[in-house]
Amino acid sequence: MLSIVESLLNGILMGSIYGLTAVGLTLIFGVMKVINFAHGSILMVGMFAAYWFVKLTGMNPYLALVVVVPFLFCFGYMLQGYVIKPIFDAEKDVREPITVIIVTTGIWYVLDNLAMILFGAEYRVVHTAISGKMFEFHDMYFLWPKLIGAGITLLCGVYLFWFLKHSKLGKAIRATSLDREAATLMGIKQSQVYNIAFGLGSACCGVAACVLVPFYYVYPTVGVSFDLKAFVIVVLGGLGSIPGAILGGIIIGIIETVGAQFMAATWTELLIYAFFLAVLFVKPSGLFGLRQDY
Amino acid sequence: MKLLRGQPPIVKVLTGLLLAGLFLLPTVVSSPTLMQILILVIFYAYLTSSWNFVGGFAGVLPLGHAAFVGIGAYTSTLLYLTFGLSPWFGMLAGGLLAALIGVIIGLPTLKLRGAYFALATIAVGEGLRVLVENVEQVGPFAVRGPKGLLINLVPHAPLSVFQFQGKAPYYYIILIMLLAVLYLTQRMMNSKIGYYLAAGGEEPEAAEALGIKVSRYKLIAMAISCFLTALGGTFYAQMFLYFNPKSIMGIDLSYEIAFIALIGGRGTILGPVLGALLLRPVSELTRIYLSASLPGLHLVIYGLILIVVMRYQPKGLVAPVKQLFERHIIPYFDKRRAKNGAPAEETD
Amino acid sequence: MALLTVDTVTKRFSGLTAVSEVSLEVEEGQIVGVIGPNGAGKTTLFNCIAGALAPTSGSIRFAGHEIAGKRPYEICQLGVTRTFQVVKPFAGKTVLYNTMVGAFAQTNHLHEAEAKALEVLEFLDLAKKKDIYARSLTLPERKKLELARALATKPKLLLLDEVMAGLRPGEVTEMLPIIRKINQSGVTIVIVEHIMQAIMNLSEKIYVISFGKKIAEGEPRSVVADPEVIKAYLGDEYVATQH
Repeated sequence: MLSIVESLLNGILMGSIYGLTAVGLTLIFGVMKVINFAHGSILMVGMFAAYWFVKLTGMNPYLALVVVVPFLFCFGYMLQGYVIKPIFDAEKDVREPITVIIVTTGIWYVLDNLAMILFGAEYRVVHTAISGKMFEFHDMYFLWPKLIGAGITLLCGVYLFWFLKHSKLGKAIRATSLDREAATLMGIKQSQVYNIAFGLGSACCGVAACVLVPFYYVYPTVGVSFDLKAFVIVVLGGLGSIPGAILGGIIIGIIETVGAQFMAATWTELLIYAFFLAVLFVKPSGLFGLRQDY
Repeated sequence: MKLLRGQPPIVKVLTGLLLAGLFLLPTVVSSPTLMQILILVIFYAYLTSSWNFVGGFAGVLPLGHAAFVGIGAYTSTLLYLTFGLSPWFGMLAGGLLAALIGVIIGLPTLKLRGAYFALATIAVGEGLRVLVENVEQVGPFAVRGPKGLLINLVPHAPLSVFQFQGKAPYYYIILIMLLAVLYLTQRMMNSKIGYYLAAGGEEPEAAEALGIKVSRYKLIAMAISCFLTALGGTFYAQMFLYFNPKSIMGIDLSYEIAFIALIGGRGTILGPVLGALLLRPVSELTRIYLSASLPGLHLVIYGLILIVVMRYQPKGLVAPVKQLFERHIIPYFDKRRAKNGAPAEETD
Repeated sequence: MALLTVDTVTKRFSGLTAVSEVSLEVEEGQIVGVIGPNGAGKTTLFNCIAGALAPTSGSIRFAGHEIAGKRPYEICQLGVTRTFQVVKPFAGKTVLYNTMVGAFAQTNHLHEAEAKALEVLEFLDLAKKKDIYARSLTLPERKKLELARALATKPKLLLLDEVMAGLRPGEVTEMLPIIRKINQSGVTIVIVEHIMQAIMNLSEKIYVISFGKKIAEGEPRSVVADPEVIKAYLGDEYVATQH
């Protein structure tokens, strides 16, 4: 019984980190109506950046946030501005902008395999002051890095939510996601909004990356499993909804860890896919989905 | 052949020469490595042309099609290993099973829009792969999970065993399969199904108003596509005599099939073939020469080509190549004929 | 029995009643017009008949079949074809291809579909443009193509959704005889329209919809003089000036 509660709580912790990557994805989708298949790769880039930062400076991985998050923001901003934007523009009137999806898939391939070539396929691990330390609570054990990570991601989620609701830029972003044309007519420069949205989405990956590095392996294809989970979470929570993404992430995290109590890890993967398909068929707009033309 | 009716004579001549050349190729190629590369090029052209029925004509983006390659391979191989059934029959069984599964999957998914459909196919594809990886035994069938299936080499096998000495027979089989699929594609494009799929893809509302039940036709395309793809799976199994879930049902294969079609030009007859012709050699050669020092380089190249092509030719490369051909090569031959006294052909 | 009977149809959208208990009848061979000010609910009513929407209540009967709530393709297969206000040609295909898509409703064979399509194109004087891509056509030509495509399905009833929308007055005048010609060839027509000139010229009977309700029906001349109609379109002040 205790182990179930422990895995439940662990699921919540890991799930909120999944949720943060999903938040980035849902933000990009909500604004640009594009599913970013390169999201996992951006996370991977962030993780490698955090890894090298810690390795070279020996500093606390959480300090890496200061460097990695802005770095990824710029990375995402420029990726969108230079690579994705021209294709996006060409497809503005097309019913289903699949070309952008295809391009993000291409970006994923390039990034992951470039990383493979440059860094090799080995699994890297960072040793920090808190790696491996456990926190004990009523005979249940939790990894400190996971606790801190979850805390940070929740803070970020709350901050983002506040930012979008109350700041001027946030409102511009929300306006664009609700009605592109109307927003343009209000004087909001679309391309800027897209660049920023993509930058923010990537920055979320940056936070998640820094938070993961103390306890997760770093390797070129690490993004893939996060990517797929992020898609599942985004659909579950509702495309474009930030609370939905966090909540969805927690649900997936719970399924993963609690499921592992009852079946082999590989079966939990299957469970998540099955769950995903069920959501797609029953309520594609997700838990908090915007009831619009998806 | 209806395919060539109405084309200027030079095209007919060139096509004839090309076909003759293709059939005579094994007689001049002696290196088994080169033969293997050729076979793989044609194999991928076959797979993408089969994918094209759904990805090109039904207007959706399936990214999990490798699952059907796997269904084909596993069905025929399991039937052969367990019951000794000739892989030729197993191939058919695999195709029908794949078509059935494809329709079952298609019923709920084909209603989804763009990105949702793509995600659903990824989930199904990966889901099926993980499923197979987790299964050791199903009734009499030893699926062997992640270890994959191994077919024993039978020297001097009778035709029914679908194994051959040397590469040439495999080459001819896949070449014929490819030509058959291309012919089928052409016939479909010029039929009610083809017109209805095109209409449903461009303007689904207008299509429905004209009496077209769009979903029904998408399902037909799906069934055909899955059937053909599965046949390819059996071919692969018989050619390489070993496969496992990752190699035959993996997401890499699904993506590669889609990329080749997209870069070449989906929804056209020759687009997928062109894509395979361009990309497969890149893949094979980088793998052979560079994989030791730079693993995954061919995928980087793939990704870059994909980005560049989507940027400048989102409809694929077949359109500009065709234009090039029509603008420069045909008129050149026209002029020569005019010089020789024959009347010039009307060109557009 | 009337060819098309709309019987007290209501359509509600969570809180907004767009169409309220509207009834109308169309006899075979007629051209019937439906007019009303902007936002009156004409398009919603139209979409209910065409199958794009399902009425909240009421029934719609065509040639004896109940079609309310049926899908557009089912309704088309029964003999009712519609055109779209914002034309939706298959832009990447030729005029002939577009028309053949409609013709396939009649046959399964390519050659037959091609023949039938050419017939329709001849009828509408578009045959010379058969190999032109739809995206290269002018707006009036696209409207004609929309008509050709619909006609190729050999409908008993043709629903025209603001077919004059976007046309210049000269182009409207050119369109009128075409629609009359279609009607004379045996196709019953219901035309939802804004442009008075077209409706007055074509319709034998007009229904007027305002705020979701039917406020008048009858011959064009009497409907136009009806004070309720004038009030709906122009407001109270104009009623007294009419005689």
